[in-house]
Amino acid sequence: MKDSISKPITRVDAPAKISGAAKYIGDIHFENQLFAKTVRSDKPKAKIVSIKTPSLPDGYYIIDKNDIPGINRMRTVVSDHPIFADDEVNYIGQPILLVVGPEREKIYEIVSQIKIEYKDESAVFSIEEAEEKGTVFTEYSYSKGEPEAAFHDAVKIIEDEYHTGLQEHVYLEPQGITGEYKDETMFIYGSMQCPFYVKGAIQDVLGWDSDRIRIIQSITGGAFGGKEEFPSLMACQVAVASLKTKRPVQMIYDRDEDIICSTKRHPSIVHYKAGLGKSNQVIVLNIDIIFDAGAYSELSPVVLQRGMFSATGVYNFPHLSVRGRNFMTNNVPSGAYRGFGAPQTIFGTEMLMHNIAVKLGVDPLKYKINHLIKRGDPTCTGGKIRDEVKLLEIIEKVEKMSGYRRKIERRKKFKGIGVSLFLHGCGFTGKGEATIKGKIILKKNGDTVILKVSSVEMGQGAETCLRKIVAHTLSLPMEKVICETIDTGLIPDSGPTVASRTTMIVGGLLRQASLELKDCWNEANEIEISKTYKHPDFLSWDDDKFVGDAYPTYSWGANVAEVEIDSLTYEINVKKISAVYDVGVPIDEKMLRGQMQGGIVQSIGWATIEVMNSSKGKLAQHNLTDYKIPTSMDVPEIACKFIENPYEFGPFGAKCAGELPSAGAPPAVAAAVSNALGIPIKSIPLTPEYLMEIDKHED
Amino acid sequence: MVEGFRPADLQEALEFMAKHPSIPIAGGTDLMIQKARGFGLKPDFNKPLLFIGHLRELRQISVRNGNIHIGASVLLNELIKNDKIPEALKMAVRQMASPPSRNLATIGGNICNASPAGDTLPYLYAADAFLVLKSSQAERKIPVGKFITGPGKTTLKSDELLTEIIIPDKVFSANYYKKVGTRKGMSLSKASFTGLADIESEKITDIRIAFGSVAPTIVRSREIEASIIGKPVSEIKNAVPEIVKKFAPLIRPIDDARSSAEYRKQVSLRLLENFLMKLT
Repeated sequence: MKDSISKPITRVDAPAKISGAAKYIGDIHFENQLFAKTVRSDKPKAKIVSIKTPSLPDGYYIIDKNDIPGINRMRTVVSDHPIFADDEVNYIGQPILLVVGPEREKIYEIVSQIKIEYKDESAVFSIEEAEEKGTVFTEYSYSKGEPEAAFHDAVKIIEDEYHTGLQEHVYLEPQGITGEYKDETMFIYGSMQCPFYVKGAIQDVLGWDSDRIRIIQSITGGAFGGKEEFPSLMACQVAVASLKTKRPVQMIYDRDEDIICSTKRHPSIVHYKAGLGKSNQVIVLNIDIIFDAGAYSELSPVVLQRGMFSATGVYNFPHLSVRGRNFMTNNVPSGAYRGFGAPQTIFGTEMLMHNIAVKLGVDPLKYKINHLIKRGDPTCTGGKIRDEVKLLEIIEKVEKMSGYRRKIERRKKFKGIGVSLFLHGCGFTGKGEATIKGKIILKKNGDTVILKVSSVEMGQGAETCLRKIVAHTLSLPMEKVICETIDTGLIPDSGPTVASRTTMIVGGLLRQASLELKDCWNEANEIEISKTYKHPDFLSWDDDKFVGDAYPTYSWGANVAEVEIDSLTYEINVKKISAVYDVGVPIDEKMLRGQMQGGIVQSIGWATIEVMNSSKGKLAQHNLTDYKIPTSMDVPEIACKFIENPYEFGPFGAKCAGELPSAGAPPAVAAAVSNALGIPIKSIPLTPEYLMEIDKHED
Repeated sequence: MVEGFRPADLQEALEFMAKHPSIPIAGGTDLMIQKARGFGLKPDFNKPLLFIGHLRELRQISVRNGNIHIGASVLLNELIKNDKIPEALKMAVRQMASPPSRNLATIGGNICNASPAGDTLPYLYAADAFLVLKSSQAERKIPVGKFITGPGKTTLKSDELLTEIIIPDKVFSANYYKKVGTRKGMSLSKASFTGLADIESEKITDIRIAFGSVAPTIVRSREIEASIIGKPVSEIKNAVPEIVKKFAPLIRPIDDARSSAEYRKQVSLRLLENFLMKLT
């Protein structure tokens, strides 16, 4: 591995972050800056009858819908979220107006004096209730083969339902944005994943030409999807405030406020009807997916699509019918969260396969292996698995690392082992990449190369990764390859930093440009090369019928979880996770291992201890005292290995990686818990309260 | 108005309290969170703060006349490190919060906070701890169970300071502690259980049982304990269902954001049963 791209190097962002020198948005003070505080709805659904505001002292302002020069909606996939409530509110925490001024104490005093009169309307609080009332945002379906006929042929039918809950991102740095109107231009600074999404949203809200808007990312302390669409909303609010006050306006959330109003992972219910053939093989599967989208649709349609296209997991079911629905409820809007809908459906499918195997009295892993998809097979949407699928090699490795076979045969009550197999579709879903057409620029300037992309560093290692791809190609030291500031005035739109697309798609473009630059390196002192993404011709996708290749390729993985359950308290102790991944070729093995460990721990949290319930639209856990995520004390032993499977179109053979681990650990842990207690598991989080209850019923 | 006062010694602190109703603060690990108002705002203290974390008189641990005296401002981490502190108390303290919080938080704070989930409390109830409450004029000594009257409520008077915790220096042959939190560290108790017992000549000669987080205050019943004392160890196994049945009505937990009443009750009684069975 001496000269391999995978050989670890020091992360370029580490020194500043470790020493504390890194300046986050809350550390950046603007001259004459004002602060903003949001007044929010405390009703889940109501008409606003009146808003009474106190008389404002000099220098204090109220900013609301009347101050918006353009459109009062946040631009995203479905642009339905008002920047400030019009005349109605649809969830607790919905922004109604801002109070802006120089002193925070005074701002809070003004906020406390604002009286809003509402007329309550009947609200919808759960997916079940939404299904009953039919408050559907989106409904999609697709099928494969002849499911109806296949059910007719099935010798056994099994029906099951799987549930997953809300998850809060808990990025270390809460949301924060500063807007500054200066020289006829709107400058937005802040913690974000997608500068050009923010730019588009500001354009709509101000009604301005794009050349008068500049978005500058500040150092971002974690995001996990939580800073994909949400920063656009805050940015639009502070932009309007800065335009009105003609001063910089900073808005940074407390943790409590952040939790109350920011997006979460979609809660899900997935209903399955499986038809088994004579050899007990699943020959036909009916999957009915429902997500709680919350009060506004926003990104939910594409989250649902990824959930639907990932719902068959790593299996090739000959006949299939899949329906997906997003329901409107009066809960805080759901949004992007690492895995983007796939961890929910993969959890259901993995547990379904596990539970069917247990019911049939066969080893779950063997049962799963009998259904594996392989190269040349059709995908669930009738595309094609073009690249080599090394699942058997992955499984063999993870079995060896964990001693799975030996341990599963010696089952003891309260000690269990479980396995999960999973995949992640690389890059945007469907025609996403073809639509976005990411663009990058590589510029040689003497002995230095500047790379210009809109892909942001948010803690995941993008800057190190992208610079490394260029440096390695050109045989330059890392310090000679630098990233242009993430400022939409200086960089092209290489697309948002989402969908595990940065390394494969943006890194791929940088690799191509670097190779070209290498060829002409000596021709001039200054050379600029730009590249625009071109969707490979062999990929086809029908976005109306959902037919074709939903993704250009896939990354794969297997996890084995070992758990011990306290026989008195039913607390789960996850002892060890063994993990093997195929992400093509790791661009930096150590950094990637960090990604996988983080993803494992984060998703174990979702599967076990992270409880977020809302009662009549109000979150019961709205601070980090009550909403608990794993600490270092809770991290199990993690053994993590990669197998190489170079992807022809990825830089150095790299595929997607960042979201892959999120789908793996939850079903592995749930299968291990099922194994430990000898009961089927169909719902997460696996709290001790829930386990004690279901174990009692099984006894 | 005085916003804060840092006395030179205990006497000065008590004199200040006599004149100014104030809020004593040591580590502030709970108080600062309770009174936090928002990003960039001062916490919501309606009275002046009296800083007592540094007072040397409150930082001592000593053993006198068969009692362990612990100053109210002794840090949780100091309890863990001190060899005079009974193991049963250390078992509880080791699982509280996180190392940084334990380097700030004090035992006096945990008591005066009077939370049903206060993790030093079940042990202090079980060990028959007394508290010394001082004012500039007087001093009184009361059992911890008489001090705490409800969630966040104590009999502390406005001019009084908790200065010392007195625990009989007695070693039990059986020490049992279990905290049920949501995760392994930095967790508030959903339920906690402390069991102490002495066994001599195959007989239970002393037993103390205390439950945390399952009622407005710590649950302990001298009456039920008395019914166990004197029993031969060999009879415990048969007596367990009866003892569990006697405790059941005293365990009156609530549903909240962290757990359910049903779970808290079940788990408390399971821990009780496990403790008793371990004595046999």
